[in-house]
Amino acid sequence: MEWNTTQHVWLILGCFCVAFAPRLIPLMFFRTRKIPDWFNEWMRYVPISLFTALVVKDIFISPEYTVTIVNRAPEMIAAVIVIGIAYWTRSMAISVVLGLVAVFLLAMVV
Amino acid sequence: MCEMGLDGGILLGKAVAKSREKLPYWRRILDASLPVDLSYIPIGLACGILLNASGFNVWTTLMVSIMVFSGGAQFLIASLLATNAPMLSVILMMFFLELRYALLGSSLSKYLHGESLGFTALFAASMNDENYALNYLKFSTDKKFTPHEALHVEHMTLIFWTISNIIGSLIGSAINIDLTIVHFALTALFLYMIVVQLKNGLIIVICILSGFLAAFFMVLTKSTLGLVLSTLTASFIGFLVEATIRKYKPKSGWLRPMKNPAGSPEDADEDADD
Repeated sequence: MEWNTTQHVWLILGCFCVAFAPRLIPLMFFRTRKIPDWFNEWMRYVPISLFTALVVKDIFISPEYTVTIVNRAPEMIAAVIVIGIAYWTRSMAISVVLGLVAVFLLAMVV
Repeated sequence: MCEMGLDGGILLGKAVAKSREKLPYWRRILDASLPVDLSYIPIGLACGILLNASGFNVWTTLMVSIMVFSGGAQFLIASLLATNAPMLSVILMMFFLELRYALLGSSLSKYLHGESLGFTALFAASMNDENYALNYLKFSTDKKFTPHEALHVEHMTLIFWTISNIIGSLIGSAINIDLTIVHFALTALFLYMIVVQLKNGLIIVICILSGFLAAFFMVLTKSTLGLVLSTLTASFIGFLVEATIRKYKPKSGWLRPMKNPAGSPEDADEDADD
């Protein structure tokens, strides 16, 4: 059974609501209120924790949500290369471009 | 003009800071968002192709790329539609996937304090992992960076994303892209963001802890809700440990700033933190 366009539109509207609410509510909440210091100190650790979690998901978690290292060698090696490049150059663009080149070449070799 | 754009993008931090007065406004926004813009082109194309394959037409693709604007979410929609999942379950999974944006909003809230309701809503509507990464770095290293510039960075990435989606949808299944390889552009972006934030020993420990917690919670919850749980736990532990160290051993080596081999960006982070 194929979905029709009307159903797609309803789906998008539904997805918009569940995507928009979590983005909006915290920003709305703190828009006028004074943000407590402890909350800011806690939130300082959010980016690093979240980015690490996203990287672990991209490299080690399979689509079925199990931990896997099968066939992940290109990504793992390329990740180490990206960390090195990012550390020494501090350039986002160079890190991303060379990372892509590395994973592309490694996928052909490994 | 074009050659300058690429140079500015690659030398991002320093070059832009020096030439920012001379460049027109839109060029500064383009330079600031360029790494994400460029990685959105192949990923956006792939996403458009997949959406097309799962039955979306050009208009619904346009709609979803503007209204949802999240690579992960749109890939999920495409793959769930391919398996004929019921609408309610797609929306429910979307909710768990998007829940982490609550954390992004919370951690940016101190920079957006006091903005109007309309601005806040507009900003929230097109915030996602990638432009959050750009804006968080900009806010914490550049004191002159304004919420309006951040909004325009979001919109610049949105333009690249939407156009790539549309083109992907139009060319349909004519070409075949290896998704895992293309997706690594985002992984590399996040790795970069991690590396530039590793400023002391404690942050490195929290980073490693977060990695293990992420794997644990994702396997446990069988969904990206694990991302939210691990981020909450790891960041809260980081906050508690830092508070404890500051209270009892303020001179501890765990909080001592590390040397930066590239010597940039100007160590402005300290003053942004207080």
